[in-house]
Amino acid sequence: MRFYAPFCLPFLIGVAVMFSLIVWKYVVWFAELPRADKKRVLYGIPTPRTLAAVWEVIRECLLHRRIFRVNPLLGYMHMSLAFGWFLLIVVGWTETVAYLGLHWVPLQGHVFFRYFAPPLMLRDKPFFDFTMDLLLLFVLSGVALAWLKRFWSRAMGMRRTTRHVPGDRIALSALWFIFPARLFAESITCGIYGMGGFLTGGLGALMASAFGRSTLVVFEQGAWWFYSIALGVFFVALPFSRYMHIFTEIPLIFLRRYGVRPHEKESSGDQFQIQACSRCGICIDPCQLQSVLGIDNVQSVYFLRDRRYGMLTRDVAQNCLMCGRCQVKCPVGIDLNTLRLNSRDTMRNTPDERRYEYFAGLDRSEGAGKVGYFAGCMTLLTPRTLSAMERIFAAAGEEVWWADRNGGVCCGRPLKLSGETDSARRMMEYNTQLFRRHGIRTLVTSCPICLKVFREEYRLDGIRVVHHSQYILEMIEQGRLRLGRGMATYTYHDPCELGRGSGIYEEPRRVIEAVGALLEPAHTREEALCCGSSVANTVISDADQVRIAESVAGELAATGADAIVTACPLCKKALVRGTSSVEVCDLSEIVAKNLR
Amino acid sequence: MAAMNFGFGINRPRVIDLDRNNLRKSDEILREMPELQTCIGCGACTALCTAGNLTSFNFRRVHTLVRRGEYEGAYEEMNKCMLCGKCRLACPRGINTRGVVMLIKRKLGDF
Repeated sequence: MRFYAPFCLPFLIGVAVMFSLIVWKYVVWFAELPRADKKRVLYGIPTPRTLAAVWEVIRECLLHRRIFRVNPLLGYMHMSLAFGWFLLIVVGWTETVAYLGLHWVPLQGHVFFRYFAPPLMLRDKPFFDFTMDLLLLFVLSGVALAWLKRFWSRAMGMRRTTRHVPGDRIALSALWFIFPARLFAESITCGIYGMGGFLTGGLGALMASAFGRSTLVVFEQGAWWFYSIALGVFFVALPFSRYMHIFTEIPLIFLRRYGVRPHEKESSGDQFQIQACSRCGICIDPCQLQSVLGIDNVQSVYFLRDRRYGMLTRDVAQNCLMCGRCQVKCPVGIDLNTLRLNSRDTMRNTPDERRYEYFAGLDRSEGAGKVGYFAGCMTLLTPRTLSAMERIFAAAGEEVWWADRNGGVCCGRPLKLSGETDSARRMMEYNTQLFRRHGIRTLVTSCPICLKVFREEYRLDGIRVVHHSQYILEMIEQGRLRLGRGMATYTYHDPCELGRGSGIYEEPRRVIEAVGALLEPAHTREEALCCGSSVANTVISDADQVRIAESVAGELAATGADAIVTACPLCKKALVRGTSSVEVCDLSEIVAKNLR
Repeated sequence: MAAMNFGFGINRPRVIDLDRNNLRKSDEILREMPELQTCIGCGACTALCTAGNLTSFNFRRVHTLVRRGEYEGAYEEMNKCMLCGKCRLACPRGINTRGVVMLIKRKLGDF
């Protein structure tokens, strides 16, 4: 049996190029991983995590469960293309086995089976004819949705869709043509030989009666050439385009399960994340820089694209609020913020050993309690929060060690967010030593920015780090704070660093409910908006920050609450500028006001 | 008669000669961050500065000198900043002060 025709060449070349490039890329990235990460992978393989990863690959790479959760129509589009194509390959393979038994058939024999089948005088197998046609229809429905999305994204529930680079456009066009081309090629062959299922057979019979079989014979080779070229072009373009995500998400899922994540510094492991981005553009709509300010070249999809192709500019890397709204929506689960941070590190980190020499011998703390309070720079700028905390500590009868009431060193997160990670490390070392020297057991902070860095970057073994919302709730539950519940209504703004950043949603809400009624705004919890004044962004202007604050404060005020409550001094400062009608206060203020 | 010590003294006389200073870097900085020209020199940024509270670091002084072409030591001085961002919230002209710090360091430093 011969399974060869000249039109197979473009396809075969494409497959060879694609797989050799992909294997080469993966081998290089893996070889360049830090030693600790390699160890994690090696020790992770013989554990149940491998099975969990396999299950996740089936769920995400084939069925696309996470996209379904974000947007069902987009989920169906991706599933029909990925799962449909996968089933076409698997069922096609089974079909050749069913016809020919367990003989070795070259790759092109499987892929172009409909072309090679008739001359072999194979008996009809209606089950396979029907199934293959059904699957082809399934994939074609996805392709139709993809066309619709490109021309009218709102129909698919997306306000904006990604603007693509030329390489992506070539791959995209090839992908669009693969399945219609397959339909026509198979239909023509089926029309000539009078076989096929409901779709290819039906279309083939229709064309045979309309144009005559002899015309179809003329066009048969051309149609198969076109199909093969479409496949070949797509496969060659794949490793250079966004379609690299089709394969790269698989190693990414395994690496993530084994605990390999992006670090503070760039590493080759980041490539698994960057090239797993499908540029679906789901991250564009949640971005407030886009929806409020109309900035549309800095979103995560563009950041990852620019970084991948080595055209990342400082403006794109720095112009981000790092609110994490895109990260919770990302269907691939890419660590978008960490990647942006290590890009900033590469661009800006210039260690200077002497810059913080003035920390030596510095200690302005006071008090002697086992509970430490770190106000943080921003709380020192919102003295009402600080004095409210003083009253709360006094009411709870807590002896407090005040870390920085008379001035202190910043927690280091703002500097880290701007990319100067090595210098930020010096602040972290200073503060760690300060906390240790005073022997505190609990560290309370009213600034979520500090909280996040204390929890994630500091090595504070033996010191429990809590946000003031958690501390206040504990005091209420232990009966050490007695609060009067008034008639006032409050709405709560989730600070990014506290909610999405540290996973604290419940405690502030329960504290608010202890003093009044809580009204939820339209966007809340994981969906909460950013106040716009994030220290992570050093590009947007003051006026832009106010515009974001106005949109957020407007939404919060629309709940009709008497006051907007937040649990972050920076959010408070920002929101105050966004509204003139409603009072904005910190959680600690309403607690202090309602102390009994 | 021995000199009285009042705890403060007279500034040493010095001249800023705008004709002789090289204003190229200063111009570049102002071109990238034109809002810096709206500074009224109120000093709010410096009054509440976290680093200024602990050292003699004076943001207003440094950026004013840089704008006049006095670059000597500006990079080292600017490096004392912890970039905490309080100054940005206090600035009555809404100047992106953190951006200014990073810009001055980028233009005058070795990166």
